[in-house]
Amino acid sequence: MKDETDHPDLHSRQFPVQEDMAFQLKVWRFEHIGWYLLVLCMLLGLLGLFSRGVLSSQDARSDDGKLQVEYEMFHRNGSTNPLKLSVHATPEATVELDIGGELLDGFSIETMQPAPVRMRSSAQGMRLWLQADAQGQATLYLTLRGDGLGLFRSRIRAPGSSEVRFTQFIYP
Amino acid sequence: MDSVLRALAMYLALMVLFKIAGRRSLAELTTFDFVLLMIIGEATQQALLGDDFSLTNAFLVIITLIAIDVGFSLLKQRSSWISRLIDGEPTIIVENGKLLHRRLRHARLVEADVMEAARSSQGIETIEQIKFAIIERNGKISVIRQDPEGG
Repeated sequence: MKDETDHPDLHSRQFPVQEDMAFQLKVWRFEHIGWYLLVLCMLLGLLGLFSRGVLSSQDARSDDGKLQVEYEMFHRNGSTNPLKLSVHATPEATVELDIGGELLDGFSIETMQPAPVRMRSSAQGMRLWLQADAQGQATLYLTLRGDGLGLFRSRIRAPGSSEVRFTQFIYP
Repeated sequence: MDSVLRALAMYLALMVLFKIAGRRSLAELTTFDFVLLMIIGEATQQALLGDDFSLTNAFLVIITLIAIDVGFSLLKQRSSWISRLIDGEPTIIVENGKLLHRRLRHARLVEADVMEAARSSQGIETIEQIKFAIIERNGKISVIRQDPEGG
């Protein structure tokens, strides 16, 4: 960089305008570095750092593998993203699910399909009863709209099975 | 509260982004630049207002934007350092008929840009007829003609 600033083209002129080339070079360097940062942001955006992408779509399972949650790790305030819950249980039985933690603080549930057999509030948040099919599989699709800002730690638990913990981040 | 914060964040973010883009980027508006500017405006508008289309929100956002703008112009008046930081400085790119290539490269300009400005503002045909060409703070290129007896 030293020989670059020594080039006569880059010496400050006093006429017809007062120049400060040292400052101007800093401005140009800022523009240059800034350009790389913009491209970096674009690439991270494509990868899903700002929601919807490889980095954001996550899959969490309970230790025994019976409960699975597919969710977006990164959300944006005001936008909606899906969350899929799958439980494996005894065929044709009703499965109990506890949705708790900060999920209900940070998100509002816009849709819930299929409608649970029963629903009630619980100390931790919300308790649902789902109808399992002949293979013992029950699935619940939620659409979440990010209302809060920052980190939200949630957990979903099926009684008699281990729980799934996951963390989501909502951008402004 | 959030409308003020939204406006503040958007103002600062746009200021930094357009600083990165450089003073030349939108100085000479081509048709495409104009369209680009409108798209940027469209994208900004959503983030500024959110899902609140009330008069109060619009007023708050506009008041904040104008207040910051006036605030910055007051700051610029007080301190030449801030003024330089925000508005930049003019830079000479042609001196006595000679292009300063290093500067052009940094400013992402080519000779054709300088000659275009020279033709449209001064009716100049060759680079030798230019005494000085200067990128002004607003990104426009101003051209000073060589004196006939001097050149």
